[in-house]
Amino acid sequence: MAPTVPLVWYQVLAAILFTIGVVGVLVRRSALIIFMSIELMLNAVNLSFVAFSRQHASMDGHIIVFFVMAVAAAEVAIGLAIIVAIFRNKETASVDDVHLLKG
Amino acid sequence: MFESLLFAMLAGIAIGCALGVVFHRNPVHCALLLVGVLLSVAGIFILLHAQFVAALQVIVYAGAIMVLFLFVVMLLNIKGETPLLTPGAAKAFGFLFALIVFVELIWTAVEPAPEGQGMPQALPLPSDFGSPAALGRVLYTVWLYPFEITSILLLVAVIGAVVLAKRKFF
Repeated sequence: MAPTVPLVWYQVLAAILFTIGVVGVLVRRSALIIFMSIELMLNAVNLSFVAFSRQHASMDGHIIVFFVMAVAAAEVAIGLAIIVAIFRNKETASVDDVHLLKG
Repeated sequence: MFESLLFAMLAGIAIGCALGVVFHRNPVHCALLLVGVLLSVAGIFILLHAQFVAALQVIVYAGAIMVLFLFVVMLLNIKGETPLLTPGAAKAFGFLFALIVFVELIWTAVEPAPEGQGMPQALPLPSDFGSPAALGRVLYTVWLYPFEITSILLLVAVIGAVVLAKRKFF
């Protein structure tokens, strides 16, 4: 069965979702929202991998998506623990208020 | 035709929800809109014959990761920030860089390939494409070592999360 949606449309969708994630990371101030935007970007890349996998009729793209999900789960566990630790000490989750390295 | 219609619908939901994630004030709403994005991307995975990955997406992302997010949002009781976006020049530069990234990505997607180097026509799929059996066969043979290393990564992440949650820093 030939695909009726060409590969390029999946890539354009992935590009749009990735860009929205980039905007979220760059312009929002809440660390939680920044994390959600990172998940958005990871998902866009996953979509791209799966689309290419379909095009080449190869399972390797699916495997990469599997690994990306595992890394994302690890990243979220650690990242949210860090956010909780910062919040307990500084009573804030805004990245603008965490500037100890600024000197 | 039906496939294109379904794709357009899911893509529209995904983009709309993604914009909501970035521009909504209430973090709980952001998290729920992110679930919307993840579910519609899972639907698109099914359109691409990746049933197992779609199931993983729903279970791992929409299930586990988003519950973690919601727990933290409620634990910290974060109010919507004021102002919503980072102030001043950083905001303008943020949008500018995002625009550059977008143009670059779209260009790589749609630029015509050089003669004879384009993407081949979509190959016919084997009957078990995207099934757990097919994925397991590749995962436990070709990708065995990366798979084992992933288990170590997850172990380290669990230990790290426990340590971070227990001790006092700063």
